[in-house]
Amino acid sequence: MFSTRRLVFLSLLVALGTVLHVVEGMFPIPLPLPGVKLGLANIVTLFAIYLYGLRAGLAVATARVLLGSLIGGVFLSPAFLLAFSGAIASTLVMALLFKHTSCFSVIGISMAGAIGHNMGQLLAASLILRSSAVFYYLPFLLLAGIPTGLFTGYILMTLLDRLEKADILSGMIRE
Amino acid sequence: MTRGDKYLAAGILLVAIFALAFPRLQSSLFPMATSSARAVIKARGKIVREVDLSDRGGRSTLVVNGRVGPSTLEVEWKRIRMKEANCPDKICVKQGWIEKPGDSIVCIPGEILVRIEGAAPVDAVTR
Repeated sequence: MFSTRRLVFLSLLVALGTVLHVVEGMFPIPLPLPGVKLGLANIVTLFAIYLYGLRAGLAVATARVLLGSLIGGVFLSPAFLLAFSGAIASTLVMALLFKHTSCFSVIGISMAGAIGHNMGQLLAASLILRSSAVFYYLPFLLLAGIPTGLFTGYILMTLLDRLEKADILSGMIRE
Repeated sequence: MTRGDKYLAAGILLVAIFALAFPRLQSSLFPMATSSARAVIKARGKIVREVDLSDRGGRSTLVVNGRVGPSTLEVEWKRIRMKEANCPDKICVKQGWIEKPGDSIVCIPGEILVRIEGAAPVDAVTR
């Protein structure tokens, strides 16, 4: 069902996600692990899933990656393909856990999303490079996914908490 | 943090640590991670054999005729070595197993060259 309220909030989320995506790309984490990021844009994707479900999450993630890579000048480059496959994989994982399990908070779902992101990326990387050697990188990405997922999940949890207290959250979900 | 979150984090941690601690186990958990390396064996200037190193079944040996008589190579999953040779100094035998793409065993007296070819490990992954 079409809802203007929902359209507006989704647009805001896309804008927010795009900004986070671009800004994050400018600040590499000072770790000896290439490619490891906080995944701030994932907060927005999970927020969209939380509010409106899988399809909204996919829409926000896709639009965010498209816009973000256009701004960053990497549209259709390998970097774009990696970001895109990672975003889609993480959205699918998070939506699945969000809808069908009840034992995880947004922190756990965020962590699973971070892992999903890394897996999707490695899969894309192995297809692009036509080599499976990239999977040797998996354990490092798994380890990195725990703190980054924790961090982004904690941010979303705080956000949800504040929106709830300010009595905005229920208004966002209402059609 | 719910109990489920903690179990999830612990699970991921365990998988990562296991994968790091046992590279071979990692390869069997994620079969895609085994690169299709092969060893190219040259004797007296010509390629005499190409051995697939991605076969996980046991050891095998093969004999190559170099300039100083037959030399025995031993092949295992992902690695190869010179087991016996008739050359005087046995440098090739002492070198032991080689497994990384680009590694090679050279036997000068026998004019035998064993080189592992295949996908080189990646330097970096970018997002």
